[in-house]
Amino acid sequence: MNTVLKEENNDLVMYFEGRLDTASAPETEKAVAPLKESSGRDIILDCSKLDYISSAGLRIFLSILKSAKPKGDHVYIRGISDSIRAVFAMTGFVNLFEFK
Amino acid sequence: MKSLLNIEKHMKGILQYIRRKLSIRVSLSVVFFAAIIFIVALGFFFYQAREAVRQEAINRAMQTLDKTSLRVEGILNRVEVASEMTKWLVQRHPDVPDSMFVYSRSMLLNNPDFYNCSIAFEPNYFKDKGRYFSAYTKHDCDSLRTIQGGSDSYQYFYMDWYLMPTLLNMPCWTEPYMDLDVVTSTSEMLTSYCQAINDKQGKLIGVINTSLSISWLSQTISAVKPYPNSYSIMIGRGGTYFVHPDTTKITSQTIFTQNLERPDTALASLGHAMQKGEEGVKQMKMDGQHCYVFYKPLGKTGCSMAIVCPESDIFSGFDRLRNSVIAIVLVGLLFMLIFFIRIITSELKPLRRLATEAKTIASGQFDAKLPELRRIDEIGQLSHSFADMQQSLVKYIEELKKTTAQKASIESDLRIASGIQMAMLPKGYPPYPERDDIDIYGQLVSAKEVGGDLFDFFMRDEKLFFCIGDVSGKGVPASLVMAVTRTLFRSVAAHEALPDRIVTDMNETMAANNESDMFVTLFVGVLDMLSGRMRYCNAGHDAPILVGSGAGLLPCDSNIPVGVMQDWKYTPQETTIDPGTTIFLYTDGLTEAENKDHAQFQEKRILDVIRQTPHAPKQIIEAMTQAVHQFVGDADQSDDLTMLALQYKHQQPDIYYQRSLTLPNDVQTIPKLSGFVETVCEASNLDMDTCMQMNLAIEEAVVNVMNYAYPKGVKGMVNIDATISSKGLKFVISDNGKPFDPTAKAEVDTSLSAEERGIGGLGIHLIRQIMDGINYEYIDGRNVLTLLKVI
Repeated sequence: MNTVLKEENNDLVMYFEGRLDTASAPETEKAVAPLKESSGRDIILDCSKLDYISSAGLRIFLSILKSAKPKGDHVYIRGISDSIRAVFAMTGFVNLFEFK
Repeated sequence: MKSLLNIEKHMKGILQYIRRKLSIRVSLSVVFFAAIIFIVALGFFFYQAREAVRQEAINRAMQTLDKTSLRVEGILNRVEVASEMTKWLVQRHPDVPDSMFVYSRSMLLNNPDFYNCSIAFEPNYFKDKGRYFSAYTKHDCDSLRTIQGGSDSYQYFYMDWYLMPTLLNMPCWTEPYMDLDVVTSTSEMLTSYCQAINDKQGKLIGVINTSLSISWLSQTISAVKPYPNSYSIMIGRGGTYFVHPDTTKITSQTIFTQNLERPDTALASLGHAMQKGEEGVKQMKMDGQHCYVFYKPLGKTGCSMAIVCPESDIFSGFDRLRNSVIAIVLVGLLFMLIFFIRIITSELKPLRRLATEAKTIASGQFDAKLPELRRIDEIGQLSHSFADMQQSLVKYIEELKKTTAQKASIESDLRIASGIQMAMLPKGYPPYPERDDIDIYGQLVSAKEVGGDLFDFFMRDEKLFFCIGDVSGKGVPASLVMAVTRTLFRSVAAHEALPDRIVTDMNETMAANNESDMFVTLFVGVLDMLSGRMRYCNAGHDAPILVGSGAGLLPCDSNIPVGVMQDWKYTPQETTIDPGTTIFLYTDGLTEAENKDHAQFQEKRILDVIRQTPHAPKQIIEAMTQAVHQFVGDADQSDDLTMLALQYKHQQPDIYYQRSLTLPNDVQTIPKLSGFVETVCEASNLDMDTCMQMNLAIEEAVVNVMNYAYPKGVKGMVNIDATISSKGLKFVISDNGKPFDPTAKAEVDTSLSAEERGIGGLGIHLIRQIMDGINYEYIDGRNVLTLLKVI
């Protein structure tokens, strides 16, 4: 599991690559910590290279959203594959996030 | 014939009318009664009066007859006396012929009512007078004509009147005879008193003949008329009529003449009686008229006289009186009838109005105004009672309407409630058509609209949860408790897979709020579809019957019913159901179904039916229903009748592929798991997306075990067995950690917003979403979670 944080057009973009499962979740959790600390900028979670996500990964996504929302920041999910979108759909997360 | 029928029809119509009219009927009865009294009284009176009149008539006629006869006898006596006197005179001076004229003349002078008188002498009695000498005096107009009557042409001494007294040697009356008066050439019917005259030597010298005119006598007699139409008759010795209103009969006919033409015994006997000189009364028919005939002999003349009085004359006055009285009575009765009819009709008028009003009321117009009667008699009372009745009727109808409406509303509510209650029961059999491992059939027949029986079943995580229960009591209260029970069962069993815990939870809730002291006998079973293991808990309900190779009761602990007491620890029980076995559950409505003789159906009969029936649930229940109906017959269903049958038909599938993996309880080993799952997925030819989802589901399940099965810091193992069979892909994740049922977790709500959503429960949610079946069992100290995916 690799994560890269970039700044694009004043937005914070986090690129996920590989499998976001229970094993890689703690490490990813640390990686997304800057996203939670940021303020005044929209967050884009780029999932175009994300192969797999488990409930542990979904919890990380939810924690990002939960920290951004009170600040008025938007969290967008970008480039999501159909199979992962299906997982989002199963859990009702499609209703929580905005997709690009 | 036709007119007869018509008359009959009219009569019927009249009778019908009379039957309908009380006034006419009563009046007729009264008048009829009065008429009977009148008839009896008047009949008696008329009879007595008629008798009196008759007696009076007889007396009167007899008196008249006596008087007349006396008179006639007087006349006759006078003739006889006069004749005697003349005889004496003649005897004193028998040789002075001229004085004979004087004697004869003086006889008529003294007795002007005598017709004639002749003193006739023996031939040649007076030498100087020749052969004939008869001093004959006769009335000639107002004077008397006295002549010498004998001549050659009238040789008197050959006449009857002359011969009779001489031959009989006693004076006698002749039969009437016709006397021809030569001078005036007139003839007259006469009867003569003839008396022989003898000289001192006793030698016959002549005969004195004194005649009376029959017509005069007749007039004298006929003048006596006790009644206007009465008449007198007189007959002589031979029965010859001397006096008769029909003058042609006089002397030419006798009383018997008529008898020759037309035999008339009455007339003949009258004739005989009169001839014999008898005196009396006879009632007989004379010339076609009913008459009273009074008869009496007339002195020594040998004649008999009779007065004929027509009955019509005698009773004419009486009849007139009678007819008048009858007419008066009839008219009186008629007036009485009319009067009564009118009186009664007017008295009954309010009744008729009442009847009309009653009809109006009966037609549904309850507010019809009743006639107000200010009477205190029976009709007034009736009217008042009727008015009271009407008021009550209106009141009762109102109440009835209200009650009926309420009842209808209650009934409608009950129907709806019944519908709601029925909707709570599982519907649509078979309930799981896609499954070949279970067959279920249930049936609930309420004794009332709503009942207290319940049964329910549902499938969760490859486990069949089912229950059957019977609420104490019946009707609406029981149905409400039933609804509560069923709801509690569903809500508790949604996250609890152990029957004893389900029942205990339900009991806590129900007993805590049980103010009406109602309770439920309940059997809860949880059948593990994969293993056939059935956990169950019986809270005072009838033990189910297991129908396998044999049939027998499922052993049950004696627990108290649900709702009786809090803190009761319900004991769990378990057994293994062999494939093909049917579990038959029922309520006491079956065992206690009563027939007319109050005999109960009982367990024995249930077992008998089961033994004779194939084990398919539907067949068992249908056979049982039929058997109960047959047993109960016409008796009313006294209790709800509920049956539920479940047949476990699980067959072990053919296994094509099998692989296992054991991991320590360390999430860092998850990639290993991922590899293992991918291998299995490849073996079952799943596509990439499904494969990824399988991966996700298994990972979530295994992570769950790793995180929660063992206490922190305790090392443990997780086994993952994968099999591919005809039924699909099966993962069994097992561990020997503390018992933990992930399926018992409440479902996450995916519709909540980000802020509201917790972070837990996502894993089990994903598993349920991805897999076709999930099943948790705690077997032999191991948590066993089975995940199924149909391929």
